[in-house]
Amino acid sequence: MILVYSVGMDLAAIPSPVELIELPATQIALAELVLLAVAGGLLGAFVVLRRLAFFSHAVGTATFPGLVVADATGFSATVAGLCVAVGYAGGVERASHTGRAPGDTATGLLLVAALAGGIILASDVFESGAAVDRLLFGTAIGLDGGDLALSGVAALLAVAGTVLLGRAWTAGGFDSVSAPLLGVPARRADLLLLLLVALSAVAALPAVGALLVTSIFVVPAAVARLFTRDMRGLLLWSMAVAAAQGTLGLYLSIWLDVPPGPAVAVLGAGVYALCATGIGARSRLPGAEAA
Amino acid sequence: MAPPPAVAAHGLSLGYGAGPALEGVHFEAAAGTTLCVLGPNGGGKTTLFRALIGDLRPLAGDVHVAGRPAYLAQTERTRLDFPVSALDVALMGSLASGRWWLPPRRAERHAALAALERVGLAAQADTLFGELSGGQRRRALLARALTQDAAVLLLDEPFAGVDPASAELMTAVFDELRSEGRTLLVSTHDVESARSFDLVLCLNGLQVAFGAPGESLGREVLETTYGSDLVILEEAPERPVRAITVQHHEH
Ligand SMILES: Nc1ncnc2c1ncn2[C@@H]1O[C@H](COP(=O)(O)OP(=O)(O)OP(=O)(O)O)[C@@H](O)[C@H]1O
Ligand SMILES: [Mg+2]
Repeated sequence: MILVYSVGMDLAAIPSPVELIELPATQIALAELVLLAVAGGLLGAFVVLRRLAFFSHAVGTATFPGLVVADATGFSATVAGLCVAVGYAGGVERASHTGRAPGDTATGLLLVAALAGGIILASDVFESGAAVDRLLFGTAIGLDGGDLALSGVAALLAVAGTVLLGRAWTAGGFDSVSAPLLGVPARRADLLLLLLVALSAVAALPAVGALLVTSIFVVPAAVARLFTRDMRGLLLWSMAVAAAQGTLGLYLSIWLDVPPGPAVAVLGAGVYALCATGIGARSRLPGAEAA
Repeated sequence: MAPPPAVAAHGLSLGYGAGPALEGVHFEAAAGTTLCVLGPNGGGKTTLFRALIGDLRPLAGDVHVAGRPAYLAQTERTRLDFPVSALDVALMGSLASGRWWLPPRRAERHAALAALERVGLAAQADTLFGELSGGQRRRALLARALTQDAAVLLLDEPFAGVDPASAELMTAVFDELRSEGRTLLVSTHDVESARSFDLVLCLNGLQVAFGAPGESLGREVLETTYGSDLVILEEAPERPVRAITVQHHEH
């Protein structure tokens, strides 16, 4: 770990990827980001299509106060994050089916409250200090086997969900009125999508942080939408972009000695901006920039 | 004993919160019949369809539909920015076969293509749904309803925005569906086309008439249904009245 930082200290010295990949910490971080790319890329395609981008942002950030408390008390951050995220997803699903879907305003207020609450807890109650940075923006070198396992589970469930529920998610998102008439269990499928996004968001917390989890869902799928016209292409491109963004972002984060969350997010946003302006005028799908 | 009706409403009253929007609806349609739902703007046609698909809970009375109906909504509730082609949309109908967790089979692809062919959209099979014209989109959604292979089809103004040639195509499809023994509910503003149905149901906030077109579509019923929107074209003894409706815009 010392070595990683000593490599990263000097901006002029570009670290050799070959040397980096021999470090166990880098290997874990790389594996983590690739697993997250599978989960984030696949689910992200549906997140963008179903206009859940703001939800995916909120579900990550909502965990922040819980993470602060867990960090200070030694409680499991994963369990705390899962409780908050799953609770939030369940609440959103229930509200949307009673006709009281939390609008953007409510989601925005929740985001502010979660962030402010977390900061107050961290600075005045627990005096968390440097841990706040890690909780908000993630870490490349502090990941362990448990983090990998959770991301592995998220990736597996995302693949299974996409294979088994992909048609239902597509049909339900395309036409929510008719989907139930087609015999598709649209409501349960939608709840599962929200829960899978919540689980993947929690899995992404250690690496990319509470504030930037949405970057693994939204950016790859938004870029992929610029290049593809069918669902299969969208899913494959989205995963590929997520993997490339994760790998390059990790490299940048080690080189520039910044947390991986911002590196991945800035890289992704930059790539999206480049692609969108490059082919923006000829953007094939109406509303492709909806994310 | 007579077989149970394919579609029925008994003492039905429907609304959206502030009092009923449609009252006193009481009818039964046997399997294999075609029923035309006539009425002016705001008459309650769409409201009735929404109750039949279970999207709107009755204030009073009950509705019955045999099996899961296929539904063509009047206003598009579809998303135009989805990366789905006309064929993908038609294929969604095959989800109704109950294997929604599996990829579509070859037979289902053929059925979806055949449905597109029936509505005259075979050449546009690979076109993105969002890049079709409005009338083509309605036909793609009709193809989805055909692929669904439902016993009951609820079509809310299927001819709206469809050109005459395609309307003719669709009429032929409806005749085929009827000869296949399916039950069709079609809402329309066109009084004259209502005469080709087995049954008509006239709605104007309440049920004005229900029965065979020959008996139901008299001057009195039409006037109660349409009020001042009705223009009688021709009326002679022993002949059905010929009438059209005009829209009085209130902007
Ligand atoms: N979502 C809604 N909320 C409140 N009122 C509604 C809603 N939809 C329809 N209504 C009211 O219910 C009544 C019947 O409307 P409906 O849409 O069923 O008419 P329609 O016969 O389908 O008319 P059109 O020919 O214009 O399609 C109208 O008075 C309308 O104002
Ligand atoms: Mg209507």
